[in-house]
Amino acid sequence: MDNLKVAATERSPEVDFDFERGVLRLRGESYPEDASTVFGPVFAALEGFLADAGRRAIEVEFDLTYFNSSSAKALMNMFQMLDNAAGAGAAVTISWFFAPDDDTMKEFGEDFSEDLEHVSFKLVPVG
Amino acid sequence: MAEFNLFDAEERTLEQAEALRRDVAGSPQPVRDGLDALIEAYGRSVREQRRLVKVSDRLQAQLAAVNHELGRRKAEAEEALDRLTAAQESLVQAEKLASLGALVGGVAHEINTPVGIALSCASHLADSTARMRELFEADDIGVDDFERYMATATDTTNLILANCERAAELIRSFKQVAVDRTTSERRKFDLGAYIRETMASLGPHLRQAGHAVSIDCPGGIAMTSYPGALSQVLGNFVMNSLIHAFDPGTIGAIAIQVDQPEAGRVRIVYSDNGKGISEENRGRIFDPFFTTRRGSGGSGLGLHIVYNLVTGPLEGSVAVEGGSAESGIRFVITLPLVTTPLH
Ligand SMILES: Nc1ncnc2c1ncn2[C@@H]1O[C@H](COP(=O)(O)OP(=O)(O)OP(=O)(O)O)[C@@H](O)[C@H]1O
Ligand SMILES: [Mg+2]
Repeated sequence: MDNLKVAATERSPEVDFDFERGVLRLRGESYPEDASTVFGPVFAALEGFLADAGRRAIEVEFDLTYFNSSSAKALMNMFQMLDNAAGAGAAVTISWFFAPDDDTMKEFGEDFSEDLEHVSFKLVPVG
Repeated sequence: MAEFNLFDAEERTLEQAEALRRDVAGSPQPVRDGLDALIEAYGRSVREQRRLVKVSDRLQAQLAAVNHELGRRKAEAEEALDRLTAAQESLVQAEKLASLGALVGGVAHEINTPVGIALSCASHLADSTARMRELFEADDIGVDDFERYMATATDTTNLILANCERAAELIRSFKQVAVDRTTSERRKFDLGAYIRETMASLGPHLRQAGHAVSIDCPGGIAMTSYPGALSQVLGNFVMNSLIHAFDPGTIGAIAIQVDQPEAGRVRIVYSDNGKGISEENRGRIFDPFFTTRRGSGGSGLGLHIVYNLVTGPLEGSVAVEGGSAESGIRFVITLPLVTTPLH
């Protein structure tokens, strides 16, 4: 399967999914008019990857400075999908990046990770 | 009192579901599995809802903060604009006073001549009369004396009369120009006559240096507009020609030509044959504070005020033409014959 690479726009984050290394990264701001155009391809690629991941390791990095409510819902769906995969045996790591002065973004990371049971979750201050 | 809880109903539903789970503990496996899955999904959904509410609360708070900031900046910008407008108005006012000062100076100079002649005639007449009185009291008036006195009296009274009339006429026309400049009244006037009056009031400045002024304006062009503004425009052009166009000692020419390119409008072309203006400066001369004489009395407001007067109350347009070095400068003003009355 091919890697997924989508450049950032003013309202959507950069998406970089390196299948070889098993690294998925979302970086930037996310407030698209239609969340499905941004997250649809990411979900499809992630599903494809996890379907034959087996016990492979996957690292997912969220480096977002701003997102709207639809994006938040999409992120939570992704968290659950990853937790299910981890429950089925994949080694999943999620890194949640936040600027040190952005307490709310840190809190969102904490809140969103509440339901994770099998994923190894890291809060990473940046900048 | 119970603490307010946004998700009170959801939590109670979950509690009831848990109770139900205990109640149906004896049901078949698929029923219990189905219920477990439902409870699990509902619980997750409520947790997600809590987070989403938090996310959108935060976004709305940010939006409110941005709006607030926007409002503050807008108020700031408006205040700055108000201050700028006030400053500009006071500058225009100051310029008006300054040009009025020049006008008063001109008036004094111009009236000095006829008043001076009338004065010396009157004192000559007084001397002759005193001498006649002495002769009369000594009962010693000869026919020659009387004839000489009569000739002197006729000459001097004629001169006194003519010069006082000249002075009165000058005062009349200056008064009109001065009134127009200070009151900015909209009225009907004859363009050619008004241009000539204005140029006459500037006469002393021009004649001193010996510059030639020609005015070419068809008779009978009636305008209903702001003559004071027009006179201020011409005054600024003339002062600029004197200061910027002609070197001291050189004798220049100034021309004002008026025609009517279309019905209802009039074109006034002011030109001098002085030093002109460089191409790069030409685009900036109407800018406020643009001057090539900073430090030696230029404030760079003259032509800016001209621009404001022409495009403002006079409802016309003004452009500078030509003026490549040595061929002088040309200002072309186009005005409507009748401006819109205010209210
Ligand atoms: N008749 C002219 N010939 C050559 N240059 C001119 C003439 N009229 C204006 N200028 C140029 O345009 C500039 C701007 O003129 P303006 O009347 O706005 O300001 P100023 O005469 O320098 O100062 P102020 O009128 O405020 O005392 C002048 O500094 C001068 O360089
Ligand atoms: Mg000037």
